[in-house]
Amino acid sequence: MSASADFLPPRLLERLGGLEIVAKTVVRGFQAGIHRSPLRGAGEDFAKHRDYQQGDDLRYLDWKLYARTDRLYVREFEERSNLQAYLVVDASASMDYAGEGGVSKLRYATYAAAALAHLMMGAGDAVGLASFGAEPRLLAGPRSRRGHLHDLLLNLERLKAGGSGDVADVLDRVGSAMPRGGRVVLFSDLLEEDDGAALAAACGRLRARGDEVIVLRVLTPEESGEAAPGAGLYFDPEHPARVLPAAPRQDPGYVRRVGAYYASLADRLRERGVEYVPLSTATPVEEALVAWVNRRRGAP
Amino acid sequence: MGQPPAGGAVIAFAAPAFLVAGLLAALVPVALHLIRRRPPSSAPLPTQRFLTEDARNAVRVSRPTDLLLLALRMLLLALAGAALARPAWLPAPEGTSEIVLLDRGAAMSGGAWARAVGEARRALLDAEGSARGELVVFDTAATHVPRRRVTPALFDSLAAARPSSDRVDYAAALRSIRGASRELRGADSVRVTMLTVPRWGGWSAGMAPLRRAAWPGALAMPELGAARPAPADPASADSASTDATAADSADDAPRRAMVVASGRGGQFAAPALEATGWRVARTPGVDALPTEGAGLYVVLARTAPAVAAELRRRAEGGATVVVARDAVTEEVRGMIPWTGFALDDRAPGGIFLDPELRIDGASNGVRGRPAEGARVIAAWDDGRPAASAISLGRGCVVFAGTDLEGGGLPFSASFPRLLDRLGRGCESSAAPSADADRPLDAGARAVLRGEGPAVVAASAVEGAGGGVQLGRWLMAAALAVALIETFVAYRRRTA
Repeated sequence: MSASADFLPPRLLERLGGLEIVAKTVVRGFQAGIHRSPLRGAGEDFAKHRDYQQGDDLRYLDWKLYARTDRLYVREFEERSNLQAYLVVDASASMDYAGEGGVSKLRYATYAAAALAHLMMGAGDAVGLASFGAEPRLLAGPRSRRGHLHDLLLNLERLKAGGSGDVADVLDRVGSAMPRGGRVVLFSDLLEEDDGAALAAACGRLRARGDEVIVLRVLTPEESGEAAPGAGLYFDPEHPARVLPAAPRQDPGYVRRVGAYYASLADRLRERGVEYVPLSTATPVEEALVAWVNRRRGAP
Repeated sequence: MGQPPAGGAVIAFAAPAFLVAGLLAALVPVALHLIRRRPPSSAPLPTQRFLTEDARNAVRVSRPTDLLLLALRMLLLALAGAALARPAWLPAPEGTSEIVLLDRGAAMSGGAWARAVGEARRALLDAEGSARGELVVFDTAATHVPRRRVTPALFDSLAAARPSSDRVDYAAALRSIRGASRELRGADSVRVTMLTVPRWGGWSAGMAPLRRAAWPGALAMPELGAARPAPADPASADSASTDATAADSADDAPRRAMVVASGRGGQFAAPALEATGWRVARTPGVDALPTEGAGLYVVLARTAPAVAAELRRRAEGGATVVVARDAVTEEVRGMIPWTGFALDDRAPGGIFLDPELRIDGASNGVRGRPAEGARVIAAWDDGRPAASAISLGRGCVVFAGTDLEGGGLPFSASFPRLLDRLGRGCESSAAPSADADRPLDAGARAVLRGEGPAVVAASAVEGAGGGVQLGRWLMAAALAVALIETFVAYRRRTA
């Protein structure tokens, strides 16, 4: 990845049409941006040699071949995975919020989930889908067969925001529907009534099972305070009856309180071995994914 | 609207309540914007829980969002109110202003012209030489001299010039008063002076009603002296009338008239003609005419064909033949200036000979119209021609479309004047038959001078002292603003 300007803004992604195209577009940008595959793991079979290129992992250098030929080759493997993963998308009413001129959090989460599904199924993982909003739902079990990606994308496309979902409940269901040692990726704004206590507990239970848990927190700039809205009456979409006159832009405590909430929640999640990734709907999806993956792999 | 206050020019309003109403109405759009307070529409924000309540935002005070439209609407209402208030620009008051009608016709030759110019200068120029009124110079037409040109130099040039050789037309001078009075914007009262040597040549039909309509007060008519000796006491209308009558009597020898009638016919017409100065004879019948000629033949009964032919010959020789309705025969019909002759026994109403002479009592009339080349000299109330005249050789033939001795006509006080007017049918005006240079008699002078005060309040004169009316201009401006507002609003809506 050479420049972030190559990423497509979420608003532009929306114009691409179907989620499949969006996912491919995001993945293409994502693959151009990462330094190497984040999904290469155990159980790989040797495929072929190729010339070493700057940035390749030195662990895969074939030193014996180097000794014979005095040239650097890296070994490539065919990826083979038994990993089962669940993408859990928050479809509560608050995820329908889009902010000023942006895409909604649900839409953004959908793009990111579609891209990850595309990537993981490309790596041979079995990917399932769950959501929670009006009610917790396991939309598709983990599959790796050809054509399952289409089912996932179709389910993602059909997601409608509503209700105030119970994230702990859906995570527990996912845990029970998936063998141990799987991967759970949660897309949510993490605005929980109990300040995330149940969420942290559920994530802890998954971690205790040996599952990898990644929480992608999706937030708009208006919510995070980067572009706080002006004075007016505001209500929580999940509790529309409670209307509050306020001036977020003029209230410095607003940003501080939002930041403190998520910092506290992130700390609790990390304590439980959960990977916490804050995302903003103002950032292109593939750029956010690339940054996350690179950060995860320790790249600059 | 009252008189302008002492001091400088002012804007006065005839109906100031409309101005106040307009200004108050102009505040309505602002008030609607500023007074209306309503809760702002609420917006979703999932992180609402992190907000602190700010009660100042519980209501929203609306502010004008389009100042241009607001300003246009306010301007429109204010202009409409101001226009309905009938504003007028009133210049500084000038007191009594003068309108001088200066005769420059042929009658002003000799010393009269210099004296008239001197009178006009005294009336119109103050001590500093500034004009304090309007000058109208007239002969057959009137010319209003703009006030900025009324200077001592103008009067010097007028005094050096000679009057024209044209006759005058007092009607033109009288009609110019109204226009001149409109220029007196600062006057609180107006005096009109006519500087002329009154002559019948300037007189025209309908002078009395024209004079009454032209000016509500009396005209000042200073004596300028005339070519003829002035009366011993010019101020005395009676003595002037006596003198004029004497002069008329000296000039006018009795004219000979003949009434052609049968039986008792002519018993009213003959004495009526005598009353207007004719020496009248009556024919014994309708079968022959006396050999003695006359200047006027009034034919009241049907005549023998030979008589009709003789009447034509005498008309061609210079006499005037007046043919009444009942005297028309086949022979006469070819002579009279009338086509489509048909009897009509319905009472046709009064006869107008000119605006000042109307006679009631005609019992019957005729249908038809004047012949080509004939002149209408009398009309019925409804405008249809009642009498016409046409020149025949050196004389004249007049047809009267009614029975001249029928109905109540002979019993009208104006009957003699009717016959006299018909007897002069081919003459061009209703003026006396004396020549145009003859001085106006006292009665005509009195008509020309008029009645009422010599100085008339400006408020009594239409247009005078009223300043410049601004209402229609303000209304036009309001319409223009309305159009602009419509255009701007449309652009805002479609943008």
